[in-house]
Amino acid sequence: MVDDPTLRAWFFREIFPLEAALTRFIRRNWRNESDVADLRQEIYARIYAAARERLPLQPKPFLFTTARNHLINTAKRGQIVSFEHVADLESSPVAVDILTPERSLTARDELRLVQAGLERLPPRCREVVTLRKIEGLSTREVAARLNVGVDTVEQQMVHGMRALVDFMLGGSGRIRRPSKPRAAKAVQS
Amino acid sequence: MSAAMIEEAAARWLLRREGPDWSLADQAQLDAWLEASPAHKVAFWRLELGWEQADRLAALRPALAARSGARRGLSPWTAIAAGLVAAVLVGGAVVSRFTPENSRTYFTEVGGRALVPLPDGSKIELNTATQVRTLVRARVREVWLDRGEAYFEVAHDTRRPFVVHAGAKTVTVLGTKFLVRRDGARVEVAVVEGRVRVSDSHPPATATPAPALTRGEIVVSDGASTLVAEKSVERVTGELSWRQGVIYFDQATLGDAARNFNRYNRKQIVIDDPEVAAMRIGGNFEAVDVDAFLRLLQQAYGLKIRDDGNTARISA
Repeated sequence: MVDDPTLRAWFFREIFPLEAALTRFIRRNWRNESDVADLRQEIYARIYAAARERLPLQPKPFLFTTARNHLINTAKRGQIVSFEHVADLESSPVAVDILTPERSLTARDELRLVQAGLERLPPRCREVVTLRKIEGLSTREVAARLNVGVDTVEQQMVHGMRALVDFMLGGSGRIRRPSKPRAAKAVQS
Repeated sequence: MSAAMIEEAAARWLLRREGPDWSLADQAQLDAWLEASPAHKVAFWRLELGWEQADRLAALRPALAARSGARRGLSPWTAIAAGLVAAVLVGGAVVSRFTPENSRTYFTEVGGRALVPLPDGSKIELNTATQVRTLVRARVREVWLDRGEAYFEVAHDTRRPFVVHAGAKTVTVLGTKFLVRRDGARVEVAVVEGRVRVSDSHPPATATPAPALTRGEIVVSDGASTLVAEKSVERVTGELSWRQGVIYFDQATLGDAARNFNRYNRKQIVIDDPEVAAMRIGGNFEAVDVDAFLRLLQQAYGLKIRDDGNTARISA
């Protein structure tokens, strides 16, 4: 049994840096774009459950094999099963994803990346995140400075955090708010 | 639940944990939420990593900090913390992108309290006006207590000692609960559970190894002199009352009580008369409610108080 601090460090070091490649893999092999975030999170949860027993020696092949198996299982469980889709998935090579090298970033690259992510946020959201991260203000201090409610600041901050993290991990930096229920009910068992 | 909903909940937890009001009860609730589902845990970790990387933005801070540091009402520690972060970043070193062992700085303002969870599972609780820096690495876990008071609950790990640097003293443990308080050169260590070793940070060559302290023991060191107080579990428990927001006096002098209140409040108590300062008092008080304490002195002890909002002068 692997403990959580070790697992967390392992996810930081080995798994999350592969998020951009994982997202590309899901997109290439799944038709419904609106399922991508859900599928990715389910794959992470599966990786967690497996790695808790024993840390895989080769994280990258392990991640993509788990991802493929999860897509196959999800497709099979769907109410409208497309046999071609499952067959495509089963023959889909994961080697191409495993062999793509990851770029390692310097502190300066990383700063540029966060700045670019910040630029993409909606103006109000950007202002709130800037006050928090650059000026170091607390939620309450930001609310006082902008003369708006704490709830409003918190909502903007939550949105900004999710979008910025998505961008930092190789995503588009644009995320959906959770108000809409999952679009593809058909793939849930 | 959809990924977006879980992520939104995780983001709220992460923001709340950064806040000044974060308590042990909050931490217990967060732990329960994380334990409820692996999806919660991975979503939370993912945001933690990305949000930590966004701290690179602090490198843009120095120019701003110089300006805001001068402004009233802003903690000077904000500026100092910003300086530290900047110093690390501007060093020009190549920082590996996904290091979980980044050095981090945490601080509280006067009257504040905060809980700091470390990546190894240990927890540090900061009392009023306290600053610590943490560095968790593969072979050692280190904390620098720059000022103030902190309670440590150290996750047991025999391969990775946990070391607290407090001025001239170094505290080394493997896994236990203890309190360290620093006031300039004065360092106090109180053991709540387990065994703790307190040694000089720069020992002379002839030094003998320091004896291990056990539950209920308190060491007070001031410059060259070190005193091991008599074993008293009650006293150690009393020292920890701040974790509930309470300060406890058992036959303390009014002078000591005032000094203690002054640690938690911007309004400072001043006692010019040595006879008044030597009066004995006892009881439990809410640490941040200095006005209630002053009312008590007025009503129960008949002392005179001149309070201009910033300073309260007590006389007979």
